[in-house]
Amino acid sequence: MNKKTPLFKVMAYTFLSLFAIMNIIPIFWMIVNSFKEEQEYAANPFSFPTTLHFSNYTKAWEIANMNIYFLNSLLITFVSLIVTVLLGSLAAYFLARFTFKLRGFTYALFLLGMLVPIHATLIPIFLIMQKLSLIDTYFSLILPYTAFHLSLTVFILEGFMRGFPKDLEESGIMDGAGVFRIFWSIILPITRPAMATVVILNFIYNWNEYLFALVLITSNSLKTLPLGLANFVGVETASYTLQMSALTIALVPILIFYLLLQKQLVTGMTAGAVKG
Amino acid sequence: MHTLKQNKLAIFIGLFPALVIYLGIAIIPIGISLYYSVMDWNGIGKMSFVGLDNYSRILTDDTFWLSVQNNIVIMLTGLVGQLPLGLIMAMLLNKGLKGSGFFRTVGFMPVVISSVMVSLIWGMIYNTEYGMLNSMLAFFGLESWQQNWLGDMKWSMLSISVAYIWQNCGLYMVIFLAALQNIPDEVNEAAELDGATGFRRTLHITIPMLRSTIMVAVVYSISNSFRVFDLIQVLTGGGPAHQTEVMTLYMYNSAFMNLRYGYGSAVSILILVFSLVVISIVNRIGREKDA
Repeated sequence: MNKKTPLFKVMAYTFLSLFAIMNIIPIFWMIVNSFKEEQEYAANPFSFPTTLHFSNYTKAWEIANMNIYFLNSLLITFVSLIVTVLLGSLAAYFLARFTFKLRGFTYALFLLGMLVPIHATLIPIFLIMQKLSLIDTYFSLILPYTAFHLSLTVFILEGFMRGFPKDLEESGIMDGAGVFRIFWSIILPITRPAMATVVILNFIYNWNEYLFALVLITSNSLKTLPLGLANFVGVETASYTLQMSALTIALVPILIFYLLLQKQLVTGMTAGAVKG
Repeated sequence: MHTLKQNKLAIFIGLFPALVIYLGIAIIPIGISLYYSVMDWNGIGKMSFVGLDNYSRILTDDTFWLSVQNNIVIMLTGLVGQLPLGLIMAMLLNKGLKGSGFFRTVGFMPVVISSVMVSLIWGMIYNTEYGMLNSMLAFFGLESWQQNWLGDMKWSMLSISVAYIWQNCGLYMVIFLAALQNIPDEVNEAAELDGATGFRRTLHITIPMLRSTIMVAVVYSISNSFRVFDLIQVLTGGGPAHQTEVMTLYMYNSAFMNLRYGYGSAVSILILVFSLVVISIVNRIGREKDA
């Protein structure tokens, strides 16, 4: 039905291309310059490198402690993610498949969390962690990451589980399986599509988180990737090409992750925004 | 379906761990913030009750109002920058042009990158001596246009706004695109029969059809603007001379740099109040138009 005149096409492609260039150029420019020698970059930041200096990467990897930050980020991201999904799916199961007096209230309580800005809780959480001597430990990040992503997790999983037919659990009850058994072997396996969305969302949010890490982590050996990078760039001001190499190292995995799981990421993050 | 008595215990066991972590860390601290906000405390010494002192001091601090002003700039950047640009992109991508998938992929890419990374990349773009922007201007012989993009009071907030649009525009693009794809074909066909084409159709048919999505996007964009922290903290740290400071940064500085936890808590409560007030006003305006 859409008639597209040539003029419209030209204008549309011009606009789209400008937008795409705006999005790609900063990253492209950074990656290109990360291969230059410092003098070459300083002489002309707006040219292609004459030779590719991969040594920047090995240097950046070492000086920036990238291995430590990567490991910390992986550990904190995955532990938080597993705890969130486990507790969240269990809670979602009882909220979706059972009737009890405080069901509506509990559900509403969980949803409330999507409205809470983390900075409104930052100071008390810092002081609580300090009191519990958890400050500057993995736990000080795992706990808030879990707590703040339970809302969205419960919301998405509950909505999905609610849609299952009512007599789904019957075969399990007939076999005399308990409620937890039914959860584990009947409900969880068919929740997989929603689980994928939730896992991806939790991963990306935890992986990118900065504010909690900034406040709750001080030891260099415990810093996550965003915090470590921000510090590195703040300190290592002498070499821009090293900074760019470090940033590229951190950027590439997330870009690959995005390109591989684009569909789930886009739908998940959109749902997270619209509902949150 | 399960009404057996024994399930009560199971329900309790199933919900309890999630509720404890969630309430203890995401909800109760707001109450604690409220409590701290009427206290004077440096974290070590004695805590003393000061009533509304913190609030009145904040509300008479020029730096705080500067940060409010910058929050408004960020909010408007979202509303007049990110949303319209995202909407235009979505409309173009909805035309079924070749290569739409590529443009969508590229458009959403900045959204998945951490805001720290976005700030660090833009920090290099804006770098005065070796940044991409200034060297690009030199490349085109426009040396006179070169600026100290982040260090100059005139430019710093604008520079941040551009980075902010870059970071989030793609999110609104896919939100609008999803809504556009939900408009039934019959609507467009009917419009065409009535002779509504091009710009007129967009204005009178498409935009009204997207009303509820636009409202959601507006509210999300506003609440997002009150949460901005990473981008500015990493890019400028609020400088030069507090010129780019936003409320969250003001809170962070008072609590964690100056160790005034009571004062900082009061700021965090004010941020919460401000954002709730703005959002409820916007919601009301949105509903009035419905009537």
